[in-house]
Amino acid sequence: MQQLINALLKYKNSLFYIGLLLLSLIFLNQRSFYHQSFFSNISLTVSSRMSLFSQGIVNYFSLKKINQQLRLENEKLKAFELAYQHNKNNKSAIFESFGFKITSARIIKNSYNKTRNFIIINKGEADGIKTDTGVISSDGIVGVINQTTENFSSILSLLHRDLKINASFKKNGAYGSLSWEGNHPKKMKLDDVSTLNPVSIGDTIVTGGMSNYFPYGIPLGAVSKIERPKFEGYYDIDIDLFSNLTQKEFVYVIKNRNIDQIKKLNNDESQ
Amino acid sequence: MNRNNLLSVFRFIFLLFLQAFLLNNINLFGFINPNLYLLFFIVYRFDSNPSLLIFLGFFMGLLLDLLTQGSGAHTISALTIAFIRPIIIRTSFGINYDIPMGMIEGTQLNQRIIYLLFMISIHHLLLYIIIYLSLDSFLIILKNTLFTSFFTFVMVYISLGLFKRHND
Repeated sequence: MQQLINALLKYKNSLFYIGLLLLSLIFLNQRSFYHQSFFSNISLTVSSRMSLFSQGIVNYFSLKKINQQLRLENEKLKAFELAYQHNKNNKSAIFESFGFKITSARIIKNSYNKTRNFIIINKGEADGIKTDTGVISSDGIVGVINQTTENFSSILSLLHRDLKINASFKKNGAYGSLSWEGNHPKKMKLDDVSTLNPVSIGDTIVTGGMSNYFPYGIPLGAVSKIERPKFEGYYDIDIDLFSNLTQKEFVYVIKNRNIDQIKKLNNDESQ
Repeated sequence: MNRNNLLSVFRFIFLLFLQAFLLNNINLFGFINPNLYLLFFIVYRFDSNPSLLIFLGFFMGLLLDLLTQGSGAHTISALTIAFIRPIIIRTSFGINYDIPMGMIEGTQLNQRIIYLLFMISIHHLLLYIIIYLSLDSFLIILKNTLFTSFFTFVMVYISLGLFKRHND
């Protein structure tokens, strides 16, 4: 004990310095946006590399399951391919009109127990991924990319309180905005649907084409509860998601080829 | 000793306000603002408490950043220069490091100048590295460090002359 105190006294200046240095780094981080983004970029790089390593070990033990999932997805794609071969006549028409480019990626870190969740994937700027790009999985949407480094990107998960997705009803096209309230990872809320539209339990919700991130018609979930407030013109609708975001392995980043044109139009409009 | 402490407090406040309200607005040639507040760390007596100086360095930088809406670079660089001052004193004065007012009198001129140059250039280098914090602006960091250090050195050297006359 005496030795410990002696050692502390001997290095008291250094310890004091390190403590104050930490304080001033926090101060720096608070005050300057540039330094804040610099630090968060470093922490993203470090944490993504660590997660890549640990995920590699974990993945080794679930290889069998992943193989099975991939086989299932392959079968589905094969079916699509066959169906597509069947209608070969209008091939070029479909591909040229479809304005999204698709890149596959693997999730190396995923969280779903906070109110603002982020996902990290193993593709980055080097693979042509940019911020503000949508991300989907085999059975629904996952989120929107908000930060990229050279080899990794972080995604604003669908389970993030501040993310709002344009969604519409499959049967009649009535649209609203889909958001997460921070409770259960499969329950979402659909707001801003006008009471002029007939709505019933079990209706399917798909992505609306009005967002820059996602194409029209990706299935999202089904209506589980409807409330109609007395004095407002909008429904309160609860949605059950189809996809389970707590056990995703592979995702697809979809980049809108025409986003520059859309943004330009939006800018023109707002001026 | 009591008089010394009082002088230190007065010097601290005077240099802080001089730096925050006058010297930071000079913008000579567009980018040169001499950091005269370093004088406080330079003339702090060699035999005084080093832990206190570390705290004063932190406090000085923090107040300066708050007064000038700085990002926090002054805090880190002033703190660090206060921390490594004993090392600089030892390298520049060698055997004479225990003369309490060695930075003004009692030592050789070249040792004093080396001490000043070390203190000023290390502080400025750190300051601009933290402000720019990117490899791409390496040349801008060097340029700023060089020119600002030079002007700070001139001002500090002149001010030290004033100190000497005052002490006589």
